[in-house]
Amino acid sequence: MDKRVNAKLEFNRLMEYPIAITTCLLALFFLSPYIYLLITSFKPATEVIASPPRLLPTIFSLENYRGMIEYLPIGKYFINSLIAAGISMFISVFLGSMAAYGFSRFSSNIGNYFLLFTLAVRIVPLISMAIPIYTVIKNINLVDTKLALILVYTAINIPFVIWMMIGFFDGIPKELDESARVDGCGRLSAFIRIILPISLPGLATTAIFSFMLSWNDFLFALLLTSTSSKTVPVGISEFLTAYNLDLGPMASAAIVFSMPVMLFSFLIQRYIVSGMTLGAVKG
Amino acid sequence: MLDITKAKDRNASYPLLLIELEKEGDKLKLKEPTLSILFFIPAAIFLIAFFIYPIVLLVVDSFYQYDINKLNVKEFVGLSNYIKALTSDRFIKTTANTVLYVVLAVGIEFILGIILALLLSTGFRGSNIIRTLLLSPLMLAPLVAGLIWKFMLSDQFGIVNWTLYNIGILSDPHKVLWLSDERYSLISCAIADIWLTTPFMMLVLLAGIQGISKDLYEAAKIDGASRSQTFWFVTLPSLIPVATTAIIIRVIDAARSFDIIWVLTQGGPNFSSEILSTYMYKQLARYGRIGSASAMAVIFMIMLLAVSALFMKKIWNPNKEVN
Repeated sequence: MDKRVNAKLEFNRLMEYPIAITTCLLALFFLSPYIYLLITSFKPATEVIASPPRLLPTIFSLENYRGMIEYLPIGKYFINSLIAAGISMFISVFLGSMAAYGFSRFSSNIGNYFLLFTLAVRIVPLISMAIPIYTVIKNINLVDTKLALILVYTAINIPFVIWMMIGFFDGIPKELDESARVDGCGRLSAFIRIILPISLPGLATTAIFSFMLSWNDFLFALLLTSTSSKTVPVGISEFLTAYNLDLGPMASAAIVFSMPVMLFSFLIQRYIVSGMTLGAVKG
Repeated sequence: MLDITKAKDRNASYPLLLIELEKEGDKLKLKEPTLSILFFIPAAIFLIAFFIYPIVLLVVDSFYQYDINKLNVKEFVGLSNYIKALTSDRFIKTTANTVLYVVLAVGIEFILGIILALLLSTGFRGSNIIRTLLLSPLMLAPLVAGLIWKFMLSDQFGIVNWTLYNIGILSDPHKVLWLSDERYSLISCAIADIWLTTPFMMLVLLAGIQGISKDLYEAAKIDGASRSQTFWFVTLPSLIPVATTAIIIRVIDAARSFDIIWVLTQGGPNFSSEILSTYMYKQLARYGRIGSASAMAVIFMIMLLAVSALFMKKIWNPNKEVN
């Protein structure tokens, strides 16, 4: 018996290197497109569209980054993106976690139906939402405003926040709110003063996700903005309609747009894992 | 249940406290339904105004002839938008493309995802670093994924064709027009989607594998099961619920994807990579046909609901503990 276990262990150790090398190669294969985009953004403009393409630039050039700033008011687009994603994140996290707290602590029939509805929302294709939302926004004269984006993103994020936060609130013992009540807090102030601070890690994860959802949105921004409140994705996509020569600056813009996200998600990947697997593994 | 020891620390006179709590308890019970409503009413108002109302509007609009440039002119046309959509070749072709795109993308993602998850689950030295590296593109915008593949698949300066040419698979580096050949355009879009979301599949499946009870493996070992037997009879069956959930999430997301296709081909050439999202967007933004776009959107929603319901029924276990 012992011998067999040992043999198995040895077999595993022998297999370790081939498995590790295969996985490394697969991982490299997966990461290479992004690395290639990064390299492309540092090529001189003529080399971006060179045929045959070179893997590495002959000289390290910031030409594309300069081009990006010259061709597009990219700074303004960044501010628009930040405002739309940031404000909608705050509103949706606050309102969503309040609702989640309500669901987690009290039970009522209306609440249960509402909860079921928020789950069903995930199935609605965004383009289906975009059609009526366009007419609603047009009717209240908010086309091409940041407010329109904030309202839409908040509505899209709230169901997501509710589902994320219910899990966290259920993990907090009810005795905590009860002792806060004993100390003279009202229900709402117990929620704001005691429960919210405790659930800060959960709130942060949820906030990051809802920020990313809006930050990465392209469809609604494309549909609802035209001049003054374009976001970065819409700005980047505009390179596509122009000449091929603009591909270099486009690569730079894509890097500037996504690099913070890449680095950030690298740092907080532990939380991403818990956030992403929450629904799937529990369900 | 109230933890008396904790309460006691907070307040020395705890018999008094208990009486107070009992009172509170009664009050709470009475107030509960109202309180619950108070907590979710702000979120509910938001969702009603920007989610439920738009969906109702969508269904209503689908029965009207309704143009984007004349928002105050609505002409009731009954089911004619639906009939037109369901009998139009473009809509049927677009639906078929959507199905093909979803099957292709999610199928390959699942296979790649499970291979990566199994490799990583062996827990070799350094597997954590690789997992972290593989996860970092997870939050990348689909738009950026589209751009990356636009570069790589270009028939003039794209690295994919040149690599295939250099290793001898292609006789001419300009031979495969990934994005402008009707035969490949949809596949090219699927490639970008596969690249972007395989890490998600891998992550969920890995979590599923790691969640399988060690006892099952022990039992298999005692019974003398071989490695492949353990995989087929322990790992795979235990993964079914997690895998189904991951697949359903991906099927829904792939079916409603827009960004990647818009960036890569805008549905072309000759509608060969047109999927429902891009088609409806064009109906709305280019031709301004709110009525017919709405009818298509309603059909699309019903299709996704039906698919999800089917999946749910498969994984729904009535004996499972319901919270």
